[in-house]
Amino acid sequence: MTVLSVRNLETFYGAIMALRGVSIDVDEGEIVTILGANGAGKTTLMKTIAGLMDPEKGAITYKGETIARLAPDRIVAKGISLVPEGREVFPYLTIEENLKLGAFTRHGGQAQDLELVYGYFPILKERRKQAAGFLSGGQQQMLAIGRGLMARPTLMMLDEPSLGLSPLLTQEIFAIIARLNAEQGVTMLLVEQNARIALDTAHTGYVLEMGRIVMSGPSERLKASDDIQEFYLGRTEATERGQKRWKRRKTWR
Amino acid sequence: MEMSRAFTGDVIAFDGHTTIVALWADRCARYGDRVCHREKLLGIWQAYSWRDYYDSAKRIGLALIALGVKRGEPVLILSEDRREWLYCDLAAAAIGAIPGGVYTTDSAAQLAYLANDSGARVLFVENDEQLDKWIAARGEMPGVEHVVVFDRDGLAEYSHPRVMFLDELMKIGAAAADPDRFEQALHEVQPEDPRMLIYTSGTTGPPKGAVLTHRNMIFQLTAGCEMLEFREDDNLLCFLPLCHVLERLVSVEAPLANGCIVNFAESPETVFDNLREVSPDSFAGVPRIWEKVYSRVMIMRSEAGPLGQRAFDWALRIGMARARADRPSAGLKIAHRIADLLVLGNLRRMLGFANARRVTSGAAPISPELIDWFDAIGVPLVEGFGMTETSGVATVNTVENNHVGTVGAPLPGVTLKLDEATGELLVGGPTVFAGYWNKPEKTAETITPDGWLRTGDIGRIGNDGHLTITGRMKDIIITAGGKNITPAEIESKLKFSPYISDAVVIGDRRKYLTCLIMIDQENVEQFAQNRAIPFSDFASLTRAAEVQALIGEVVAETNRHFANVEQIKDFRLIDILLTAEDEELTPTMKLKRNFVNQRHGALIDEMY
Repeated sequence: MTVLSVRNLETFYGAIMALRGVSIDVDEGEIVTILGANGAGKTTLMKTIAGLMDPEKGAITYKGETIARLAPDRIVAKGISLVPEGREVFPYLTIEENLKLGAFTRHGGQAQDLELVYGYFPILKERRKQAAGFLSGGQQQMLAIGRGLMARPTLMMLDEPSLGLSPLLTQEIFAIIARLNAEQGVTMLLVEQNARIALDTAHTGYVLEMGRIVMSGPSERLKASDDIQEFYLGRTEATERGQKRWKRRKTWR
Repeated sequence: MEMSRAFTGDVIAFDGHTTIVALWADRCARYGDRVCHREKLLGIWQAYSWRDYYDSAKRIGLALIALGVKRGEPVLILSEDRREWLYCDLAAAAIGAIPGGVYTTDSAAQLAYLANDSGARVLFVENDEQLDKWIAARGEMPGVEHVVVFDRDGLAEYSHPRVMFLDELMKIGAAAADPDRFEQALHEVQPEDPRMLIYTSGTTGPPKGAVLTHRNMIFQLTAGCEMLEFREDDNLLCFLPLCHVLERLVSVEAPLANGCIVNFAESPETVFDNLREVSPDSFAGVPRIWEKVYSRVMIMRSEAGPLGQRAFDWALRIGMARARADRPSAGLKIAHRIADLLVLGNLRRMLGFANARRVTSGAAPISPELIDWFDAIGVPLVEGFGMTETSGVATVNTVENNHVGTVGAPLPGVTLKLDEATGELLVGGPTVFAGYWNKPEKTAETITPDGWLRTGDIGRIGNDGHLTITGRMKDIIITAGGKNITPAEIESKLKFSPYISDAVVIGDRRKYLTCLIMIDQENVEQFAQNRAIPFSDFASLTRAAEVQALIGEVVAETNRHFANVEQIKDFRLIDILLTAEDEELTPTMKLKRNFVNQRHGALIDEMY
């Protein structure tokens, strides 16, 4: 079942058209990834879905309900939470306070959810009385994900969870994302620059370029595409010259 | 190599010169420091003189002699359009070698085929990207002894005994012991000697190299100057591949005759911007370009506000009426003056046709409606006909006497006739090429014993001598019912829609006609977006029901213009975005019938 469907979305920053008609579908229980270079419009898409930006045109439906142009808190209450790019934890609040803020839109059951989050991220439990600003980058990312979970979302949007993390921590975070998806049934929409790990984790993917979807399909198919391999997975053909400065033209097949 | 025997008798000279290279040397000496070429360097237009042209070509020519390049030996150039292309072209021609171009979209295997077929020992390549093609396939082309690279970017650490850079080659030429060898060689070139080797894109079988002589090209210049007006201070824009006879004629040979300035477009993607910057005085394009301009304007119209739309529609209506009227009334003249001042003039300036005295279309059929439309906005578009084997142009309309729907009258000196048995168009005159390189049997199939060229086209010759091409012989569709249908007319009608970039009508030995359609990505995306039709990638765009319906309407509309047996009963959209690298497309982005039939056989079978 499709939980989120985005149709012909156009979003502007002033006169700049950041999304030029994006249509995507997210099915229940899936991890969907959106790949794209800097400035492709990935974060804009997330922000528009989360209600932080209003689209100029297009429709967003969540479980059959139109959610475009709703206030962000209403969207969270409907079950979509955003784990923003750069983590954005409250540095002077404790970890526990940060987590509780994640449950701000609902009442009851917080203690149980806290345990769930601590179950996935034991380090947060250990340091729950400390200010969040004292956490390392990876721990802050865990906190941001945990805070998102506290809203009991059915759809979680993760904006570049690997940003600024070591390769090892990135793997750890993605393992947890995959577990949350499998064990808790949380549908995930994942924006990522690290295309390899994103495609390994996700079930389906979209490629966004210049505000348009240029390719979509199951991750396996995307991984096999020559364009993805060259432009996102950094494959270098072993040429005799050893280096290659020019890029082939993208065809997106 | 077999020469065509007829029409080789009398001497043809332009300004007293019987070879292109003699004419070139004379013009370089005469114009000296005048601007000859303009090209962008880091985004800024730079000028290069006729003296640069001659001096650079001379150095390259001397170096080629030093490398042992002999008279009558092909030399290949694999590069986008740029002035070095011309330097190498004239350098090789001046020492009696035969320059030939390779499309930058060709694969390594295709390059190897051309290298082996021509037997070239020297290959010029533009940059690291093109060099990689030689590296990839050099085992298959052992005959290539020297590869000369124009650009050093990305190759600072690369060295190979067979590879050198253009500046190194020019140093060899500058250090030549006897620099007069170049002029000697140049004067030894005879009118009957090959001037260039043009590989035809080969819709059937592998490409063939057509040999065009100096006499062929000098004839084109004399005849062209009789029919068309050129001025010394004209600006031209060079953007079609120089490997193609049309661009070679327009951007290399013609400027020698009339001294105009050639501006090189930065890349195929920036043609429309460069067009606006240069605003050329005359311009030769292929139908695809004109279709693109038209659909850009129509899209702009649909995005304009209601006032802008009405102003545009009104001006276009006035322009159309003015273009149709033989003797316009005073009222219409005034209205046209106003429309031109307020709308049409601005439109031309925006498109880059503000200075255009004449723009031409060739290489493929163009729909008459499109010519009328350009006429209405004040851009004098004329259609001509020609092929590689006619050394460029065979017939052309003139701005003063434009018979829309025909491809014009033959150049003075060119004779046309129709084969009595088959209706095939035959062309005679000094424009007929010398033959295919190393393929006497193909030459014999193409040139009749008495010197007529079999064009493979079917046409009509009007009483006023104007030619109408109705289609290609081998494209004729004979349906299962036994009806002969020429698909070109149906296809060009379909392509007039801004949503269709090319179409191939199918139906040979089938019960009815069907069609494969390549949609115009930009315009159809715009259409889908405006109507909130969801799509993600190109394939999903072609599958959208509304897009299918849109194209269905175009097909239905086209059907109204044709007889019962010529109705298209079904169609399919090609769901992959084809690029010039794909074998289904010619370098001018036209679908190749045979390849399409093979590659998309499954889609075709679905329709029957």
